[in-house]
Amino acid sequence: MTRARFGSVLRWLWLVAISAVIAFPVYVTVVTALLPQGDVASGRLIPIPTRLTLDNLREALQSAPLAEQYLVSVLVTVLQSGAQLVTAVLAAYAFAFPRWRGRGVVFAVVLATLAIPGESLVIPNFELVTALGLRNTLLGIAVPYLAAGYAVFLLRQAFLDQPRETWEAARMDGCGDLRALLHVVLPMARPQLVTAAMWCALSAWNGYFWPLLITDSPDRRTIQVGLAQLVVEQATTPAVIYAGTLLVLLPTLLLVLLGQRFLLRGLASRVTT
Amino acid sequence: MVLPCLGLLLVFAYWPVVRGAFLSLHGTDLLGNPTRFVGAANYIELVTDPRLRRALVTTAVITALSVLLAVGGALAAALPLRRAARRPRAVVSVLLSLPFAYSAAAASAVFAGLFAPAVGTINELLAGIGVGGPQWLESPVWALLSISVATAWYEFGFSFLVLLAALNQIDQQVIEAAALDGASGLRTAWSVIIPMLRPSLVFLLVTQTISGLQVFTQVQVLTRGGPADATSTVVYELYRRAFGEALPSFGSASALALVLLLAVLVVTGVQFLIVRRSA
Repeated sequence: MTRARFGSVLRWLWLVAISAVIAFPVYVTVVTALLPQGDVASGRLIPIPTRLTLDNLREALQSAPLAEQYLVSVLVTVLQSGAQLVTAVLAAYAFAFPRWRGRGVVFAVVLATLAIPGESLVIPNFELVTALGLRNTLLGIAVPYLAAGYAVFLLRQAFLDQPRETWEAARMDGCGDLRALLHVVLPMARPQLVTAAMWCALSAWNGYFWPLLITDSPDRRTIQVGLAQLVVEQATTPAVIYAGTLLVLLPTLLLVLLGQRFLLRGLASRVTT
Repeated sequence: MVLPCLGLLLVFAYWPVVRGAFLSLHGTDLLGNPTRFVGAANYIELVTDPRLRRALVTTAVITALSVLLAVGGALAAALPLRRAARRPRAVVSVLLSLPFAYSAAAASAVFAGLFAPAVGTINELLAGIGVGGPQWLESPVWALLSISVATAWYEFGFSFLVLLAALNQIDQQVIEAAALDGASGLRTAWSVIIPMLRPSLVFLLVTQTISGLQVFTQVQVLTRGGPADATSTVVYELYRRAFGEALPSFGSASALALVLLLAVLVVTGVQFLIVRRSA
């Protein structure tokens, strides 16, 4: 065997080993969620296709208020990421095209929020949202996160990459700001808009700390909090917990598998800044 | 047009910083309202209270371990992948990016099952080869390691994706030139590729350190800070003080929040300086 062949074998052994270790928890999630409970309890983790079942998923949806919590999560994700996109598109437009005094400073103020960890803000926000009477509501979960500095940053960059002449021409033809934005600027920024939407939706769906603090009745919580609660209370079988995990995972798994191209574009622009 | 965004950020990001600083200098009554001015007492408590001091150390340990494992592991996986054939490379890439799909809560749920003492998957596997596994979450040292491993696994996916994207952008001609000059695979990786990955590595070290400083979900789900406070972190301690106990102490929790904010700002500042210097 030549040295190069030997190196290549070694490399593949290493890659297979690390893939096995990393993918193992995913494998356990899927297999436990889809096998009859008796199989998993007796340590049989090699799935036989004919034994696969949806019973655990059904039980998970029926046992805890997981179905309600799923709906809460979907609504929070739509509301929160939708609002983030709208506020970010408007702000990014104002930073990229019209020239006005102080826009550099205002942009710095928006950008600086990227460096503030959300966990350090929860106590005052808790007071604020409670005072607004929004505790334990859908709006209360989303309201501190209706604007996101990251989305502004991403979209401003996309807008700045567009030829300024196009925007100027639209303005000369009598387009107002809103029309120029909707009909000229946005159609040219579609890929970056998708990227921003994906990152906003991902962080809304995956949120945990704040939704945990601001809700207390089970049917008002998000699925993330509901799932964690199932684990902590040990009120159910591992099969049902893994089935719940699979349900939580499904949308983000699709996003990672199908939308990776878009997610990576969002990362590249952050690395270089 | 900038007003909705700016207004929301001022109310929900800047105002809380100011209010938090105010709260941290005051005591708290039974209802969670600030009482009298207590000066730096809440900050002095951070240094004198053994439980808080321990939380600071624990957070640093979990952060260091998980960042090293996640970023080091991702680098060790992404580099050899570069020279693999297209098809198998695509398969391995998908497998290795899977953890990124997990939220902190989902990852914690899965690791709760893996680490469970009697019926846990890991211990069952170990029993299969005749090894008695430890009580992963019951002894202070194992629990700290378990939390760090769970955190590293969950951060691995993101690190791997970032490095993969960076590797794909490297000019193949540079690498071929190095090979023509007689550099071995390892040597090319060390002296040509890793320096070109520097911006991504700096980015990863910074973002993963910041997310390590904020570790909460894994602790809350897997150990509730135990055993004997061995895995309680800064954010878990903040949670316990402000929301987890019968008598909320917003004052001392706010002092913790401000320390967290400062730590994150320092890390971000360091990143800024490094990027500046190399630019």
